[in-house]
Amino acid sequence: MNLLRQMRNASWFWYSMICVLCWGAWALLSKLGSREIPPDTMQFLFTIGAVPVGLVLLLARRGKLEKSPRGIAYGVLNGVLSGIGGLALFAAYHTNGNTTLITAAAALYPMITVVLAITILRERFRPIQALGLFFAAIAIVIFSL
Amino acid sequence: MNIPLWLWYSILTLLAWGVVGILQKLSTNYISAESSLIWLVVGFLLLEPFFYPGRAVLHYSKLNLTYAFLSGLLNALGSWALFAALKRGGKASIVAPLTALYPVVVILLVPAILHESVTHLQWAGVACSLIAVVLLSV
Repeated sequence: MNLLRQMRNASWFWYSMICVLCWGAWALLSKLGSREIPPDTMQFLFTIGAVPVGLVLLLARRGKLEKSPRGIAYGVLNGVLSGIGGLALFAAYHTNGNTTLITAAAALYPMITVVLAITILRERFRPIQALGLFFAAIAIVIFSL
Repeated sequence: MNIPLWLWYSILTLLAWGVVGILQKLSTNYISAESSLIWLVVGFLLLEPFFYPGRAVLHYSKLNLTYAFLSGLLNALGSWALFAALKRGGKASIVAPLTALYPVVVILLVPAILHESVTHLQWAGVACSLIAVVLLSV
């Protein structure tokens, strides 16, 4: 209970809740738009929606960005792959498959991140992650039935 | 086993975003989270010529076009809120699993908005997926 009270009074908790609400709304709006609009056009419009946030951040920093070629390269590649993943998600919603299941399945992406972090970045493997992968595998098998 | 088309697309999404998670870690080793989000949008923009819809876009309903635009806006705002949470002392081991629960918002609203239903077995799958994302992002 003490932990809950601490969380309620912490600004980071409310920012986390804003994040959850924004992402929940993002997934739902993606589905609603995808009923009519094909995936490539959805991704095109999605990007136009994301641009203002990028611009506000850029203005807040007065246009000053770190000059790290590696950081920039990873960041841009991030966007390209994110966009391709988004395109596939819009395609999934466009098939008229079940919205709850599509959203839950696509949200399982940390399973890939964890496996890559352990194999490529040589991060420490923790037993809790094995349990997570186990539940993720069960979820995907059930969804495929 | 006859895997439905929507699941193939969803798996493609989770593969791409899984790699994105790694790139995110790598980029924030060199630049701030905010800069990383700015370059992410630049990456989005690089794809725009391939997805340019031309005049076809005029045929869609204004409401659905608005949904698509807002989807991008809210996604980026959500990422921004995530960074803000981490910046204001939120531990990544708590903030990450908490924010990974965004499908709950969808699950709660779908019955009212889309009138879709889910079988008991599928609910079990959804529960497993939620447990999985929390455990994997702790």
